Amino acid sequence: MTLRELVESQHFCRGLSPGQCDGLAACAREHQYAPGDYLLRQHAPADAFYLVLEGQVEIKLALPGQGIVTLETVGADEAVGWSWFQPPYRCQFDARAVTPVRVLAFDAERLRALMERDPVVGYAVLKTLVGTLSERVQSCRLQVLDVYAPPAGMS
Amino acid sequence: MSAAAEAQLPAPWRITQRRQDTADVFTWVVTPLGDGGISCAPGQFNMVYAYGIGEVPISIAGVDGDGSLQHTIRAVGSVTRALAGLATGTVIGLRGAYGSAWPLEAASGGDLVIVAGGLGLAPLRQAVVQVLAQRERYGRVCILYGTRTPADVLYGGELAAWAAHRDVEFAITVDRASAGWGGEVGVVTRLVARAGFDPERTTALVCGPEIMMRFTAEALLKRGVPEGAVYLSLERNMKCAVGYCGHCQLGPHFICRDGPVLPWPRLKSLIDVPEL
Repeated sequence: MTLRELVESQHFCRGLSPGQCDGLAACAREHQYAPGDYLLRQHAPADAFYLVLEGQVEIKLALPGQGIVTLETVGADEAVGWSWFQPPYRCQFDARAVTPVRVLAFDAERLRALMERDPVVGYAVLKTLVGTLSERVQSCRLQVLDVYAPPAGMS
Repeated sequence: MSAAAEAQLPAPWRITQRRQDTADVFTWVVTPLGDGGISCAPGQFNMVYAYGIGEVPISIAGVDGDGSLQHTIRAVGSVTRALAGLATGTVIGLRGAYGSAWPLEAASGGDLVIVAGGLGLAPLRQAVVQVLAQRERYGRVCILYGTRTPADVLYGGELAAWAAHRDVEFAITVDRASAGWGGEVGVVTRLVARAGFDPERTTALVCGPEIMMRFTAEALLKRGVPEGAVYLSLERNMKCAVGYCGHCQLGPHFICRDGPVLPWPRLKSLIDVPEL
């Protein structure tokens, strides 16, 4: 599959014209990471938006005095990174490959420029981003609830 | 004695094995004294009696060939803490089996997705054992298990065997990772989106905390699994276990008699009502 076909096969490209898919493909590259490689580094410039095609990525955060904690893992068909969308364009977390990982990586600066120029493309990408954010927030809420903790008032 | 009264009379069973699974969860193998065995199906529960202390509903986690049963119990209240203190060889009271079972017969021929959260793996364990023993009767089989931390994982040895089974997709995730955990981190609902099954021909069996089951059901429906093919197992304050006392009532359902396994259409308007 060519890069153009790969980009066009992504969920957010449904409904976009061939020209709009060309524009997205021009921002994209396919990339592979070996286990242990970092896709994102905390505080580093958030210069790419990733869609995981294969493999597992862990989102990590360094906690002073407690080491590095894995907050969640992300797999195929899921997005990694949204700091590229909002200033100051700095990564908030680490993202590291757990297994061999294949991604579609979009150049953040070019993608933002394309989204500004073509609001239809911008809206399509934003829908993907908001979908990801919404799922992550819901997951975080359930994790915070600690649903598996021993219930009170049981016999 | 009337049949109704007899149904509530515990029979003596002996604890023949005891295993500590996690810090607060243990598993017994119990064997009937004399010929007092019971017939049961995966998903049903027994009332387990700590003599002189009280009785609690405990799902049947396993059925052994000699009529012995497995019960996995969390020491969380006065009765279950008393049960936790009983040694191998102790005689307990047991009556059952009660309630509805997982629809394994109706699910045959299609794909099967089994989603367990925390201790919710216990009521599903025997279903998994039975499905794997008759693997050819089902299409794709996915077992998705989420729990709190790596230290809370139940049935570790068996999970490894399920994961290694060539005709099973198995995934496990924890809400909070610890050092050395190399697996998935995050809520179990997110595994549903990635699992390989054909939604339109899938039956889903879900057991865990109610909030987890609600979001799992929604994730399954979002994938396209028909509402009537999503089954949940509910836990309530069962007392009589035969539909008389009403302690376990959820809307129009007595969970002890109509449940614990119920299809989503009968639960969807009830499961998130705070007063229930």
